[in-house]
Amino acid sequence: MPDLTIAIAKGRLQDSAMEMFQCVGIVVSDEAVQSRRLMIADESGRYSFIFVKPADVPVYVEYGVADAGVCGRDVLMESNADVHEPLDLGFGHCRLVVAGRPESAERGYNPLATARVATKYPRVTADYFQRRGVPVELIVLSGSVELAPVLGLSEHIVDLVETGRTLRENGLVIIDTIAQLSARLVVNRASYHLKRASVAELINKLREAITRDRGAGENG
Amino acid sequence: MSTSLSKIPPGVQYLFDREARSRRWIERQVMEVFTGWSYSEIILPIFDYADLFALGMGKEQAEMTYRFTGRDGKLLALRPEMTSLVARTVATRFRNRERPIRLSYSGEVFRWDEPRGGRQYEFHQTGLEHIGSDRLEADTEVLVVAIESLEKIGLEGFTITLSHVDFFNGIAENFNLDGDERRQLQQMIDRKETEEINSFLEKYADEASRRAFCRLVTLAGKREILDEACALVSNAKSRAAIDDIARVYRIAEEIGTASRIDIDLGDVGGLDYYTGLTFKIYAPGLGTALGRGGRYDQLLSKFGSAEPAVGFSLCLDWLAQLLAEKLNGATTHEDETTRLSTDGDIVSVFKEATRLRAEDRRVEIKNKT
Repeated sequence: MPDLTIAIAKGRLQDSAMEMFQCVGIVVSDEAVQSRRLMIADESGRYSFIFVKPADVPVYVEYGVADAGVCGRDVLMESNADVHEPLDLGFGHCRLVVAGRPESAERGYNPLATARVATKYPRVTADYFQRRGVPVELIVLSGSVELAPVLGLSEHIVDLVETGRTLRENGLVIIDTIAQLSARLVVNRASYHLKRASVAELINKLREAITRDRGAGENG
Repeated sequence: MSTSLSKIPPGVQYLFDREARSRRWIERQVMEVFTGWSYSEIILPIFDYADLFALGMGKEQAEMTYRFTGRDGKLLALRPEMTSLVARTVATRFRNRERPIRLSYSGEVFRWDEPRGGRQYEFHQTGLEHIGSDRLEADTEVLVVAIESLEKIGLEGFTITLSHVDFFNGIAENFNLDGDERRQLQQMIDRKETEEINSFLEKYADEASRRAFCRLVTLAGKREILDEACALVSNAKSRAAIDDIARVYRIAEEIGTASRIDIDLGDVGGLDYYTGLTFKIYAPGLGTALGRGGRYDQLLSKFGSAEPAVGFSLCLDWLAQLLAEKLNGATTHEDETTRLSTDGDIVSVFKEATRLRAEDRRVEIKNKT
């Protein structure tokens, strides 16, 4: 039995996350990572990793089948999962923004007309527009959201932006930033107490690594 | 037709055979412990006026009730919790009874809450309320009863986290936080967001005490964290809270239950409702708390009788899920059943059956094959 089961968001954050674990001595062999197994143990056998879709990380952690997880803040905001969020892991920085074509950016939101917004983040989007008193019609897409305003499917989009290149190349501009995001360590509420020693050890190790990285970044 | 007939609305459940038996068994064991501590059962109505719950649990929470209109046009609600019903009854009908009053309950509650973590819209709460005493004995009693109940049903490896709302309240007052800031800090502590807490407190405290505070609210532990907390906070309210926890913890040590208790100064959930010591119960195999309790000295006054109270409840659904494997078989009596075949004379079969039943034996009438 491993001490802790950790869910890792596949894709964008996976490599940086595994690098960070390696930095603190939690090593998973390349061979294991490349295998098609969904659940792999580290070399010490104390940690078991599962690799799942980003949006599923909070689900696994909230139910407690994973004790901890690594995923972006965007996923946490959207899922509203009831978990602990003890660490900002300091990588995977990006922004969640409202974007649109330049002319709609100039017009701004019209509180009298319903805003049509395409997004992968319906909850965050609805919340953002409702707070501003703008009626919103959500078009929930699962990818290539930038296409929506280009083809006239929606006026605005709410999506992640790292460098802004995709937006620029599609002739879109940022209208507003909803949140600054980065990768987070999340921990199940029951595991936090029932596996207190292991969880605290993991958090402390990772925190030290983050502080070290930050120090190195500032000096270099 | 057949598909719509077999369709069950989300969030409710049908339980039978083993599941039904183990639930009833758990419920009986727990209620027996409550009786053993002189709690008497109160059976409460499934629905009552919606206003009652809004008053008891706050408007926002009461939004989650299933509401409907009675024949007189008044808005009714399925009970989303039991405590409001108990509190109203004590404040109105038990006004002249001697205090403290000890009441226990067990039944389904209904909440339209976003289904998450495996929670249903309908779930079964078994719990108790101890009303009329502001003394620490009452808090301790409730905690001890909770531990005995869980031990009696054989729940393994459970941990009770012990907290006190005034630890946070004292700090918030000391920093002069307004309502919004308070809620913000509370939310950060609840999610254990260390860095956010640290930067939030920048304008209120120096670095050393910020770091210590972040450590305290994000790390639970045994007695040693109380000493650390004492060294850190100087306001009277937080100090008194630490003192209360220390006293209860000491009793737990003496009676040998301290190993079950984890002190958690960072539990700030339910601050609008609880007024003193609080606790939550966790067990391996479940990602969420299976029970919670604490002191709520403000509730009774909402029903017109200002008096202190403390209580807790367990979620029977979670207990049944956790104990399913363990109770499998333990609650059946299949082997002890006498099977009577109706192959022969039907009169003698029923004669024999009633004779066995008079001895309280288990029988099953088998049909002719």
